[in-house]
Amino acid sequence: MDSLSYFALSWMSPELLALTALGTFLGIYVGAIPGLSVTMAVSILISFTFSWDVNHALCLMVGIFMGGVYGGSRTAILLNIPGAPSAIATALDGYPLAKQGLAGEAIGLSTVMSVIGGFVGILVLALAAPTISEFAITFQPRDYLMLAILGITLVGSLSTGSLAKGMFAGALGVLVGTVGLDPLTAEERFTFGVIELWDGINVIAAMIGLFGVSEALHQLHHLDKTIIKQKINRIIPPWADVRRYLPLSIQSSFIGVIIGALPGTGGDIAALMAYDQAKRSTKNPKVPFGKGAKEGLIAPEAANNAAVGGAYIPMLTLGIPGDAVTAVFIGALFIHGLNPGPLLLVEQPHMFWFTVGNLTLANIFVLIFGLTGIRIFSKIVECPKAVMIPLILLLSIVGAYAINNSVVDVWWMLAFGVLGYFMRLYNYPVGPVILGLILSKLMDENWRRAILSERGDMGSFFANLFTSPLSCVLLAAILFAFFSQTPIWQRWLKPKLLSR
Amino acid sequence: MKKIILSAFAGLALSSAAMADYPTKDIQGIIQWGAGGSTDTVMRSVSPHAEEVLGTDIILTNRTGGVGAIATKYVNAKQADGYTLLMGAENPQMYKVLGLADIDYSDMIPVNVLARGIPLLVAQNDAPFDTMQEMIDYIKANPGAVKVGSTGKGGLASIVMAMIQSEVDLDVTTVPYNGDGPALTALQGGAIDVMPAVLGAAVQHVKAGRMKAIALVDKESNPVVPDTAPIVDALPGLSTYLPYGPFFGVFVKQGTPDDVVAKLSEAFSVGAESEDFQNLMQSRGYGVMNLSGDAAVDFLENYRSVSSWLVHDAGFAKHSPEEFDIPRP
Repeated sequence: MDSLSYFALSWMSPELLALTALGTFLGIYVGAIPGLSVTMAVSILISFTFSWDVNHALCLMVGIFMGGVYGGSRTAILLNIPGAPSAIATALDGYPLAKQGLAGEAIGLSTVMSVIGGFVGILVLALAAPTISEFAITFQPRDYLMLAILGITLVGSLSTGSLAKGMFAGALGVLVGTVGLDPLTAEERFTFGVIELWDGINVIAAMIGLFGVSEALHQLHHLDKTIIKQKINRIIPPWADVRRYLPLSIQSSFIGVIIGALPGTGGDIAALMAYDQAKRSTKNPKVPFGKGAKEGLIAPEAANNAAVGGAYIPMLTLGIPGDAVTAVFIGALFIHGLNPGPLLLVEQPHMFWFTVGNLTLANIFVLIFGLTGIRIFSKIVECPKAVMIPLILLLSIVGAYAINNSVVDVWWMLAFGVLGYFMRLYNYPVGPVILGLILSKLMDENWRRAILSERGDMGSFFANLFTSPLSCVLLAAILFAFFSQTPIWQRWLKPKLLSR
Repeated sequence: MKKIILSAFAGLALSSAAMADYPTKDIQGIIQWGAGGSTDTVMRSVSPHAEEVLGTDIILTNRTGGVGAIATKYVNAKQADGYTLLMGAENPQMYKVLGLADIDYSDMIPVNVLARGIPLLVAQNDAPFDTMQEMIDYIKANPGAVKVGSTGKGGLASIVMAMIQSEVDLDVTTVPYNGDGPALTALQGGAIDVMPAVLGAAVQHVKAGRMKAIALVDKESNPVVPDTAPIVDALPGLSTYLPYGPFFGVFVKQGTPDDVVAKLSEAFSVGAESEDFQNLMQSRGYGVMNLSGDAAVDFLENYRSVSSWLVHDAGFAKHSPEEFDIPRP
């Protein structure tokens, strides 16, 4: 009964309720502006809410987190600029929908699916947190390596058209990801003695350039094209649609929770993996993926919001952050005199159910705020190009500067914008570049960690690979990902297995 | 014309008055590390108290990158007027020998060295040893079998291991991680066996029984972990290097007027003494130092000479400490 009263704490107090609502509202807009990240917003709030009661501060921060993860989809759909890396996959099918005049419908659908994803994440957090966190920390460096390799097979899904061009783009991303101080030995790599390159090339700067700026430049070709009228009569998706896509969104949500709970990965990888899974498992999409398939919008949106609940799992049970934002939350709890750690649930038993209740509340506010104001937002796409293009450029520059308060990121963003423009011109997909950039570090570090743990002995690396059940399962998943694309499977085995 | 001259004079008068009335405008605080990290947390919790004393706002900005060198260089490129503060951790003290930058804290003025972390050697629960001596014996009996986490060359873990290696020759497998947090997670998952971490990062896990403390890398035991023996019990030779640990401090550019430094030192000293800050440091397992003036300089010099010579003797320094006239501890 205690847990229920803790759960309802933020629902009953008008102050906490209002703060959660405010946080969610702000979060949606912070998340929507590329370069302003949830991590940044939450850490600024730490010093802002320094003297507040801890519950008040947490309500505001939880709202920002939930709203922010959702908000990234807004600009992804409307302007093709993902508000955060976790919304990259959303842009792939969301923006084509907006170009077809369906921005309102896309935002409505993504809102509902985000909320469903959020609820799945919260439910798993509430019911299975201790089990999942014990499972998540058993991931060894070689398992993260497998996960990264599984991730890199996504290049196939992200390449519309030529696979070779997709692989080229992916490899470029991996290469760009190796720039900077070596994460393990602090040796300089491709830095040419420039101190600004020590931290590597910022993923968000590259993302804003490749998606936003290149789109703006591309639009210059179509200045004379008539603007597509947005259909805004259908915003809230009909029940039949929600029911039809429910299995997909639940499946994607589970991917999101697990990837989110792993201490080394977050919502960005979760969303991309869910997108890939949706593309593989959807037999006959009405519209092909990459051209505005609703499945391609639903999967990443459900997954990245489910990853929020996932990220809380190791944080609340073990004091281990599930992602960058929960790491900041841990800092906030310290400042408020709590000791976030494996003893948190013993010392502060209310914290768990309070957070679960608060997340649920924030998720409901996402639904409310997400579904209001869509009409005005979808009008953005109807702006004349002469207004729109400078606006995208301005937003991109501000966003790139905001990442680190550094002009260097602005230059990188512009450079990647020009690169992205030429890539589009010659039909190279830009998605794989970002994918390579995100996964490059994960692969690099964990491969080397894995092999260092075996003292450079390949034999014992493979021996341990085959004796660990987890590694075996991951290896099987990678092998299947490749095998499922071979003619043997496609033409012979698949019809046989599925017809039964 | 008259107006311009008048306002120019007024400006002059104001700028000379500024010295006496410092501060007359907002102060910029440049944090070396990212939002939510330990340096960030420390600075964000001490600054509100210093603001009260100074009667002005301290605007905090995170300028990350280059192991803190970007922020360090940024502050040194500004004017020496006390309006730009560097809020940093221990890293710059190793820049010279590691060849990362040609500037360190000896080229700046310390305003206040706020707090110091104490390293704690922890092991995973299944490890077949409970004390420092048992660990040494086990590693000697099983060369290469024990995996020790690290945070890269020059990181705290590498320095602690270098200290131990200067006394006994141990054959261990080193696996690098991006910081204490990920390494301690890996320790709980069994990917590594031993990790020298900051007390504050590990203490909650030790108390919850998720890992065990082997030794406290200090001269004396600590009330936070009363049952853990100091490392000098097993290796008395280490006392020349101790006390040692990562620290957090506020610095200004060389050439900042003395009265400005004094005012800043006083303000941050009040901040360090505040109850909030003391509680925060205690819960995170850091010792409050609150050093300024010569005491701060001495502490910084000792830190620099210990770590520089240790990494040099361990063989991963790019430059000899002698090149920079860093004395041996």
